[in-house]
Amino acid sequence: MDEPEAGPPGIEGVDLAGPFPVGRYASRLKEFLRGVERVQVFGELFNLRYSKTRAYFELRDGNGALPCAIWRNRLDALGLPEDALADGVQLVLAGGPDYYPGSRTASPGFSFDVTDLRIAGEGDLLAQLERLRRQLGEEGLFEPQKELELPLLPRTIGVVTGESGKARDDILAGLQRRGWEGKIVWAFAPVQDRHAAPRITEALQELSALDEVEAIIVARGGGSLADLFAFCDETLCRTVAMLRVPVISSVGHHSDRTLIDDVAAVACSTPTHAAEAVVRVVVPDEWASLAASARSLDRRSRAGVATRVRALGALARVPGEQLRRHRRDLHQRAREIRASAGRATLADRELTQRRAVVLRRKALAAAGPETEARRRALAAIAAALDGADPKAVMARGYAIVEDLAGEPVTSAQEARAQERVALRFSDGEVAAKIEPDG
Amino acid sequence: MAEPELTYEQAVERLEEIIRRLDSGEAGLRETLDLVREGRALIDLCAAELDEVSKGLEEVQLDELIERLEKQAPGGPADDA
Repeated sequence: MDEPEAGPPGIEGVDLAGPFPVGRYASRLKEFLRGVERVQVFGELFNLRYSKTRAYFELRDGNGALPCAIWRNRLDALGLPEDALADGVQLVLAGGPDYYPGSRTASPGFSFDVTDLRIAGEGDLLAQLERLRRQLGEEGLFEPQKELELPLLPRTIGVVTGESGKARDDILAGLQRRGWEGKIVWAFAPVQDRHAAPRITEALQELSALDEVEAIIVARGGGSLADLFAFCDETLCRTVAMLRVPVISSVGHHSDRTLIDDVAAVACSTPTHAAEAVVRVVVPDEWASLAASARSLDRRSRAGVATRVRALGALARVPGEQLRRHRRDLHQRAREIRASAGRATLADRELTQRRAVVLRRKALAAAGPETEARRRALAAIAAALDGADPKAVMARGYAIVEDLAGEPVTSAQEARAQERVALRFSDGEVAAKIEPDG
Repeated sequence: MAEPELTYEQAVERLEEIIRRLDSGEAGLRETLDLVREGRALIDLCAAELDEVSKGLEEVQLDELIERLEKQAPGGPADDA
């Protein structure tokens, strides 16, 4: 590299050779690295992925890491079982440094070129993780979160996740599937580097300090176990275990459980599932079933009162003294019922109407695909509540026949015994005379 | 209301219980009226809870929320008494 080609002049005052064209320098670097002595190294494998011709992974231990590459035909020739190269497996590698100089359109890259490979046993990191898991379990820290009650329909949900992660979209999709449109408090934190665990811990503490937050999702879209170690942090896991708000973990690794999965109230495989675990009902369905409850309450209330009236009628047919006594009771009870029902229905009705107006206004103000269904459900609730009002029945064309004492006349036989009766309509009373049978 | 506030889940459960009791035909007139009144209050409560999660998604960021709460907190410069 001692004869610089025609190019720009160097930096004034800098006493170094060059400037050389970068491509020439890069290929010299490749040659230099390939000339470095070949050795054996050991550590734990993480994040194995394949291209057409090569397999890539990282070899790590507590103090550092090396990006590695091996030709696929060389790897295949080793005849390893399919799942032998899982994250955390300890390997001994033979090889040396290599450099791909790249081009105008391809990125350059450094890697340790692996010429041979041997599996040496379960990784230290995983063993360490297992020890911590056992310890937390023995301290009973897997239990407290499981004893917390998960609300069926939380109003406010806290979410800890990466700001740009796909997890965020997945959670929103899951909530949308439930038709849930409450309040989300997002706490964005890094989810994979060495700052992750303390930041996640802090976010969890702050969310749980907010009274309104009823459940917290901790989500991450996936990744290698090495990246998931943030979710195995001892302080983080101890914090989760002691929170008063249920935590739903969705750290997204199908084969290995992170420690947060063990201490959380619920562990889910995907952020979408986590959203569905936090809101366990479909909101439009709940509206529909509430409307059905309102209707059946109304039906039973009317049926119940009708049964009582028939029973009182039967008592009224008992002769003599009993008849008079029962009639007196009946009068009294009828007056009481009318008075209290009148008061109650009037008050209830006004209240119901007011609420219906408020609810209807809210429903109309809100946008979204469920609006129409919700409006129908609300209308059904309001109609069912109106239907329970005797005045509403009379407004449909019914009248109550009363004798001169104001007691209801409920049969033709009773009517024949009267000379005069009163017909009570929704808008007032009319006197009437009973004609003797022809 | 004198009784402690019910959760949505408890309200739905109690409502179902009331409808079952009314279905049994064992409730007297007074109990029937009481149950119907209680049932209506529960329907109202459930509707209010559902309304809270039906009015459009609200998203806030924790940092902004805390900042807002700190401004409102008593003991702040404006509230010194």
